[in-house]
Amino acid sequence: MLKTPDWELMIVWYFFLGGIAGGAYFTAAIADNFGTVRDRAVARTGYLLSLPLVGMCGMLLIADLGVPRRFLNMLAAFKFWDPMSIGAWMVGVFGLFTFVSSVLSFTSSEKMAALRRKIGLVGLLFGFFLASYTGVLISNSAMPFWSDARLMGALFLASGASTGMAAVSLLMFVTGATAGEGWGKVKKADRFSMIFELLVLAAFLFMLGSAAKPITTGHFAPLFWGGLVAMGLVIPLVLDLVGHRVRALAPIAAVLVLVGGFILRYVVLMSIQA
Amino acid sequence: MARTLAMFTDTSLCIGCRACQVACKQWNELGLEVPDWTGTYQNHTHFTDKTFRLVRFIEEPKPTGDLAWLLMSDVCKHCAEAGCLDACPTGAIYRTEYGTVNINQDVCNGCRYCVSSCPFGVVSFNETTGTAKKCTFCNDRIHNGLGPACAKACPTDSIQFGFRDDLVTKAQKRVETLKAMGFKDAQLYGADSKGFLGGLNAFFLLLSKPSTYSLPEQPKLPQRNVVVDSLLSVGSAIVIGLGALLAFRDREQGDGNA
Ligand code: SF4
Ligand code: SF4
Repeated sequence: MLKTPDWELMIVWYFFLGGIAGGAYFTAAIADNFGTVRDRAVARTGYLLSLPLVGMCGMLLIADLGVPRRFLNMLAAFKFWDPMSIGAWMVGVFGLFTFVSSVLSFTSSEKMAALRRKIGLVGLLFGFFLASYTGVLISNSAMPFWSDARLMGALFLASGASTGMAAVSLLMFVTGATAGEGWGKVKKADRFSMIFELLVLAAFLFMLGSAAKPITTGHFAPLFWGGLVAMGLVIPLVLDLVGHRVRALAPIAAVLVLVGGFILRYVVLMSIQA
Repeated sequence: MARTLAMFTDTSLCIGCRACQVACKQWNELGLEVPDWTGTYQNHTHFTDKTFRLVRFIEEPKPTGDLAWLLMSDVCKHCAEAGCLDACPTGAIYRTEYGTVNINQDVCNGCRYCVSSCPFGVVSFNETTGTAKKCTFCNDRIHNGLGPACAKACPTDSIQFGFRDDLVTKAQKRVETLKAMGFKDAQLYGADSKGFLGGLNAFFLLLSKPSTYSLPEQPKLPQRNVVVDSLLSVGSAIVIGLGALLAFRDREQGDGNA
């Protein structure tokens, strides 16, 4: 007879936005370091997107506590084997990285830009962390399905990447920063992430077997198969592959990926807590 | 560390009077709650933020077609390897010098990770205080030379309090006696400190298999997979990172990183 932690909508949002923040930041840092001058727009968009998102993550985490004014108690202890403990620290540390990178993304000094790239290389590790630790956190609980899923963190990371990249490409489209190769490269990286996410998801379901029932059958099945697998991954990939010459399809695909990413967190969290 | 204290709950002696459940409520000032209809005499269905001792009333079908009435006074197990304690990010959950597990109500910030990390579903969230609640092993009493209120109130000695090593010896003898009397499924649950969760400091004598009492047969520490899960996440990060790197590396070589 187990008890659920009642981590509901606020935590669904936290997991979702944390994934995007992490994904957008590491995409930006990679573009900044390994891309060309013309990929600058990608880097700036990614850095500037991750900053407010991490801020929102922090607020969501605090608001969901039973005693929000005691949130600093998390930082009074550090348990290196405890995902919740490290996670609380990392949200703060990653927040600092997104802030510094965002500020430095406006610099015109080459020296500062070089510094920004170095900072990005370190910060991207924290971005990867933020996108995946939430999966490791729930898979190290006593809950069925969550605790059976060895690939929960890996899946959340892949989803953080695909949604983070989709958010960057969408933002670039909206702000008219789609000239040059940068935009195309983000979409290419996103395509790769989505294909990888589908593979991880297949392995995730295969390894879980009947333990995946809470999401693959019953009440949450239509959302999972229809909302995440079909609408959030397969359709955007098809749109991207067959329709990549039609510009207007790109933002539609990006929105679908984002909705799919939200649905993933939603079905995983709510299916065994409903 | 002082000698480990324990509670031994011998379900074969329980008469279902609920003196323990009431004594716990009274001593710990746990307050009123709306009862659940469980279809039996049992109330509540499970531990709550105001019910730390709970007498379970279980009806087990016998081969003869009759029902056997099994009674069990359930409680936090004060596990030697406690999932709730490992999960707690604030350090609010701590182990006392007597080996019991307690939640410091002034430190808990109500994140509820412990609720999802107890293999027995013991910890409960209290909406009023915003903190996590569970049996304290009457921390105030044991630090003042008294046993837990439940053990004190129990009229049949179904709940016994003492040093763990003494109680385990006693419990083992009791199982032998019961077996000789014909209770062939009599068994200890959590007495073995080499068994699951490093042994339970509140352990039980059961008259049937653990699952009959809604207890997991082999409870596992939730944190056992943290390294594997993290490594798989790192692997995933490397693949994604390489993918992005290749996407951005494309063509433009020699364009300079100016
Ligand atoms: S039974 Fe649950 S609440 Fe009690 S010590 Fe063990 S893990 Fe913690
Ligand atoms: S709810 Fe309180 S006791 Fe439980 S893990 Fe969080 S801080 Fe620790």
